[in-house]
Amino acid sequence: MIHHIVRKEFADMIRDGRFRWSAILVGSLLLVSLAHGWVQARKASQEHAAAQATTREHWETQGEKNPHSAAHYGVYAFKPRLALSFVDEGVDPFTGTSVWLEAHRQNDFLLRPAQDATAAQRIGALTAAQVLQHLVPLLIILLTFGAFASERERGTLRQLLATGVGWRELALGKALGASGALALLLVPAAVAGAAALVVANPGPTASPLARGAVLAGAYLAYFVVFLALSLAVSARARSSRTALVFLLAVWVVNGLVAPRVAVDLSKRVYPTPSAFEFARTVEREMADGVEDIAPPDRDESTERLLAEYGVERVEDLPINAVGVYLQESEEFGNRIFDRNYGALWDAFRRQGILQETLAAAAPSIAVRTLSMGLAGTDVEQHRHFAEAAETYRRDLMRQMNGDMTENSLTGDFSYAAGAELWESVPPLEYEAPPLGWVLGNRILSLAVLGAWLAGAVLLASAQVRRAEVA
Amino acid sequence: MTDSHESNTGPKPLLEARGLTKDYGDTRALDSLDLAIAPGEVYCLLGPNGAGKTTTINLFLGFVAPSAGQALVSGLDVSTHDRESKRRLAYIPEQVMLYRNLSGIENLEYFAALGGQGSLGRERLVEILVEAGLDGDAAGRRVSTYSKGMRQKVGIAIAIAKEADALLLDEPTSGLDPTASSEFSALVERLRNRGVAVLMATHDLFRAKDTGTRVGIMHYGRLVTELSTAEVGHADLERIYLEHVSDNGGPR
Repeated sequence: MIHHIVRKEFADMIRDGRFRWSAILVGSLLLVSLAHGWVQARKASQEHAAAQATTREHWETQGEKNPHSAAHYGVYAFKPRLALSFVDEGVDPFTGTSVWLEAHRQNDFLLRPAQDATAAQRIGALTAAQVLQHLVPLLIILLTFGAFASERERGTLRQLLATGVGWRELALGKALGASGALALLLVPAAVAGAAALVVANPGPTASPLARGAVLAGAYLAYFVVFLALSLAVSARARSSRTALVFLLAVWVVNGLVAPRVAVDLSKRVYPTPSAFEFARTVEREMADGVEDIAPPDRDESTERLLAEYGVERVEDLPINAVGVYLQESEEFGNRIFDRNYGALWDAFRRQGILQETLAAAAPSIAVRTLSMGLAGTDVEQHRHFAEAAETYRRDLMRQMNGDMTENSLTGDFSYAAGAELWESVPPLEYEAPPLGWVLGNRILSLAVLGAWLAGAVLLASAQVRRAEVA
Repeated sequence: MTDSHESNTGPKPLLEARGLTKDYGDTRALDSLDLAIAPGEVYCLLGPNGAGKTTTINLFLGFVAPSAGQALVSGLDVSTHDRESKRRLAYIPEQVMLYRNLSGIENLEYFAALGGQGSLGRERLVEILVEAGLDGDAAGRRVSTYSKGMRQKVGIAIAIAKEADALLLDEPTSGLDPTASSEFSALVERLRNRGVAVLMATHDLFRAKDTGTRVGIMHYGRLVTELSTAEVGHADLERIYLEHVSDNGGPR
């Protein structure tokens, strides 16, 4: 019997001009945003690859110079775009995707499109993730708010129920019928997305298709939440207008109000310094040290080396004491960076956890977090790359200072290393975290989305059971 | 469980009310209705607005639960055999409402399938619609182009397709022109001849006398009198009706 309901609902829906036009609109936006995202991601990947090659070439051909000068010359590291980043650009436009790795400094990331964008561009930049998180739920509401309420108003509900069909069969049939109509819109988009994944340069990530499958599952669960909520409200509302107004209010809270409140609340509970304050704090601590992290003392360092090598004068040392001191300065700086960036990342992590918890009030927060995580554009994966880049920087500095220490003497400012040293430094080979790592970080969002799914289905079931004929 | 009671005087009633009562808060909408409608009988419930006619139909449809008593369809208590009893019923409301984006055939196919008839096939569906009085050419058109009379005919077609034991009609000819009303009565007559028990709530005394085999007059939730239509003329029916529904007793 259910297949008759499904078939009728599907036919009724696709013959409805309102559905056709809204589906064409949302479908077009989805496909255009996917295509635009893919082109942008591909372009960015190509630009990053070209820039990475150029920076490597510059590094290797920088000519003969003192290794510490080479350390100041530095290199650029570019955060690779993962295959799914065309679906959701996440925090990348705000955090930046490249960083200059140089001596003594852990620099901020550069290339932040959001920084250069006008307000209109920020609002107008529609991504596939935004279409999926906001417009598809709106379409679901518009399709289903009248599922029961309109039938009740028209009087068809009495006739339907007089046939002997049960409420539950009716609800399931309506849900599947609406799903079928939505599939007309979403399946082509999913196929286009999968094709884009296959032909895209997948980037340094494990199993992009597995990430894509989980992402599709998360969005599917999110859509079912809206479908179930819409049916629940429609079953109980006294009129279709009441159902529509209520559901639109839910949509506004879910998509616009709750995410904003969650971000503001998390910043209030776990405050983070402004970029200016942060930079000033790091600068001050680098100059003066802090608590048990004192800046290295050059005289002490020299005295220690003289004792270690059993000589009286620095000129008699078989190594370059300046190189040792420079590395000690690096180590000191690293501890200051670890202390400050560690606290900053921890604050971001706590903010993230609070936001994920607040997804209990709005499933959009959960699906947004999962979407960014699976696309490789969330804060955690930005941190993952930033830490990999910083580790690379530290190794690079250690190698440069080590070469200077080992191959020159104190006061010998004429020492210059060449291409052999520069080429011995391996390029940054970044391996993005595997799917398990991503899901492990997003366990709370998965749980909350799962709870929303179960809750919405149970609510729909209960409301349909208690629904009235007239 | 079968709840029918044996009758020594005739066939088992297909629609039966036993002490059927419905209260909405302090208001008694239906008061101890006893009624038995046999196969091939058309029972017309007459009465002013609020007399309890639609409440009676809603109780037979299981849309509201009785406060006391039983409504039985083919011997099955509606309260305990919701789906089985509905399978044996067809229902035509005052205004048959259909799905505007579907054709007459598709509407009939849908309601028939939900009523347990499975897929009848296009040819059979058109046959039923034509039998119900709908023009064959109109059957394939979207219902959004139909008049009220055409929609009522689709409603009748739904009832025919269901092959139900009993038919519930709630003001079915309200708003129809005389020709359409007359066609409607003829269709009810054909169903009656097939042994269907019909319960029709109506304000239309002429149609009740013309179509019904028995008439029950309701007032303030009570069945105040029953008549055989064969024994009264139109004028008598009107007189008796007015005698019983003059406001000589308020709701209890």
